[in-house]
Amino acid sequence: MFETGVRQFRLALGIALRRRLDPRNVERLVGDVLATLAEFGEAGADAAELVEGPTTNPEDRLEFTNGSLRRTAVRLGAQSPFYARLFSSAQIDPAKLDVAGLRAIPVTVKADLTERPGDFRCTDVQAYLATRTTGTTGRPTEVWLSRYEMELWPALGALASVLRGELRPGDVMQVNLSSRSTVALHQAANACRLAGAGCRLLGIVPPETALESLAEGGATILLTNPSYLAELVKAARRAGMGAGDFRLRRLVSGGEVLSPSLVRAASGMFGVPHVEDPYSMTEIVPITGRPCSQGHMHHDTNLGLTELVDLHTGEPAAPGALGTLVITPYFPYRDCTPVLRYDTRDVARCLPDEPLHCELATVPATSLVLGKADHLLRMPGGEIVTSRQFIEVIESLPAEPWPARYRAAACDGRIRLTLPASAIAGYSQAEAVRHFAAAGLDVDLDIVGDDQAVSLRHTRSDMLETTFASPHALVGA
Amino acid sequence: MPVVIFPIPQWEESLTLFCVILTGVIVVCSGALAYFRYVRMVRPPVGAFNTRDVVILLIVIGVLPFVYGWLPDTAVTCILLVTFASALYIGYAPLLGQVGIWLGIGVLFGLNIWSSNHIMGTVAGWDWWYAQQSVVVLLGAIAVCNLYLQGGMKLRHVAWMSLGLACYDIVFASYYPLTGRLIARYITHPLTPVIGMRFGRVDYALGLGDLLVYSLFFVAAYKAYGKWAATIAGAVTVVFGGFATAFVPFLFNFTNANLDELVPAQSLFGPAAFLTYLWMKRHYGRERTMAEYLASQSSTAPAPQVEQAPAPEPASI
Ligand SMILES: [Zn+2]
Repeated sequence: MFETGVRQFRLALGIALRRRLDPRNVERLVGDVLATLAEFGEAGADAAELVEGPTTNPEDRLEFTNGSLRRTAVRLGAQSPFYARLFSSAQIDPAKLDVAGLRAIPVTVKADLTERPGDFRCTDVQAYLATRTTGTTGRPTEVWLSRYEMELWPALGALASVLRGELRPGDVMQVNLSSRSTVALHQAANACRLAGAGCRLLGIVPPETALESLAEGGATILLTNPSYLAELVKAARRAGMGAGDFRLRRLVSGGEVLSPSLVRAASGMFGVPHVEDPYSMTEIVPITGRPCSQGHMHHDTNLGLTELVDLHTGEPAAPGALGTLVITPYFPYRDCTPVLRYDTRDVARCLPDEPLHCELATVPATSLVLGKADHLLRMPGGEIVTSRQFIEVIESLPAEPWPARYRAAACDGRIRLTLPASAIAGYSQAEAVRHFAAAGLDVDLDIVGDDQAVSLRHTRSDMLETTFASPHALVGA
Repeated sequence: MPVVIFPIPQWEESLTLFCVILTGVIVVCSGALAYFRYVRMVRPPVGAFNTRDVVILLIVIGVLPFVYGWLPDTAVTCILLVTFASALYIGYAPLLGQVGIWLGIGVLFGLNIWSSNHIMGTVAGWDWWYAQQSVVVLLGAIAVCNLYLQGGMKLRHVAWMSLGLACYDIVFASYYPLTGRLIARYITHPLTPVIGMRFGRVDYALGLGDLLVYSLFFVAAYKAYGKWAATIAGAVTVVFGGFATAFVPFLFNFTNANLDELVPAQSLFGPAAFLTYLWMKRHYGRERTMAEYLASQSSTAPAPQVEQAPAPEPASI
């Protein structure tokens, strides 16, 4: 108890002074939380402050944000060749930076990182682990991480998870993410180690293999992508399985659009109350977003700043407008290849300018991520259709064609939507058109053979990793 | 008119001391138990009492007499004031509120300081001083006992701590009688950490540390295994903490059983408490956690006295 007090004080001091934190100290705090839970069954009052941060007052939060931005920018100016150049060319004094002044700094885009990765590496840190983006969009980006980061993030993640009861001793976490998602896998495995839980890193293996290990291996937490989750639900249906076959208590599925139709089917199949859909991205780790029960995405304010920037003006998005998430992870949470104002190209809508009433109301929020900016369909009348709109409507078709395979284009002022034949099974083409119209999408359907399904839209479940047991298995529509 | 005081037989001194200890034990144990059952202290968000805390406590208890011996009396008084005020505040603010608790602390401390400076040298004066002294010390012991136990201290920790204190007591009493000298020097100053009475020319007193260990042992046994275990713990406390301590000078025919010569109470109680703990562990099995204790209280069915579940403890000393 005495030691725990000292550890909490050290952590709080590090955060307040914005110094590098001691990952060991955070790891030991995780142990302290576990001991507390073992004795008392729950953490004491005010435990939420440890993970949510103490500041809910807007003025205090602004001060914290400005301080964190300055600290981050000062270090970038001194250690990151890319940002040193950027600051000097834009005549920006990092020591005087604040939220308002931040807008003068041009956003960093994926092309910057892809073309000049070396320029982003801080000169005062030894790089340890390289990770590449595994997204389905374009050339992968390589991000180098330091040992400090790889120790700190799982520790902070585990601390938050055990305090929120998301991870408990005795849990078994099965991870069906691409084996190349180095950071996510490392994070999951080490958080489990710290929490006294088991971890099974399976990769994108044939869904039957994953299902068998889910059921017989007694997994209690499943971490995967929506498209692979869809494959799992379909495989479980084929095998005649049901909620009684699984011990899952949490299902976490992020990285792609998760539709309500898939959520319903997956919760029913695996016997979980809901499916968690967190937001994260390799380039901006360790910043995450959490959805609430009212369908907002709430963005972490302790480890970084998330801005919603209007797609056209580059100014903060107005209520109701679409914007792209621009994210700045703070020092000391990001160390080796830090970015400032990184444009994720993930599009969300700005919420109406009124108070929130959800369980995370004190944390700033946007709508859920609606898709990539480059995948928006712009109609001649100015209307914009997002990937989420298409995916949700397609996946709610009676055939439940998850993961949605489609191609959309604007053609003579109407939406031309290409779907594989199996997607509208049970419907005539006219009925299918009415289904879309009921959801506000006037489409002309173009139906192609199922053999072309995968080429219409790539999903993460396509990155199948074969095994000797089933080398020819393929995942697809 | 001078009163001639005749020396009383040693058995009578022992019996009187036993009665003083017994009164202290009964008050502190029942008070601590009632507090434990009916008042929930606010605990920190993260942290449970563990083995390291026992070690830290033992180190502090070992070092403290030297620090007190080195510091001037005024400094010792200041430290005691802060310590007692913190203990009383933590323990009774939830019951009395902000105003009530500071008012209470003010009255108790004020009386204590006033009477410490105005003892008239009479038995009545001494007893008045001892009486309100005892109130502060007993309230403090009950608060600290609950602070530790409601913070997750287990019977296992109490048993090891008692054993450690027994070693200290033997060392300090036999080879380095620092505590006795400190008490002799400091007594009559405000907030001397003892309870007691004066009969005739003899002080019969018991230290705060002893009271704290007795109440910890008693309530920890209750929390861990229920009321029968607490009854056994209470009996062990009365026999080894009270009876043996009071009658050792008589049985071994010490030339002077006056408490000015300190009896090392913990040296008898520590091993007895530790053996009792070992027996309970063997007989009852794993200790209840605080969560299990609270669950047993909230259920309408009688509290499950003991879980024989072989759930392993994460660590042991
Ligand atoms: Zn919300």
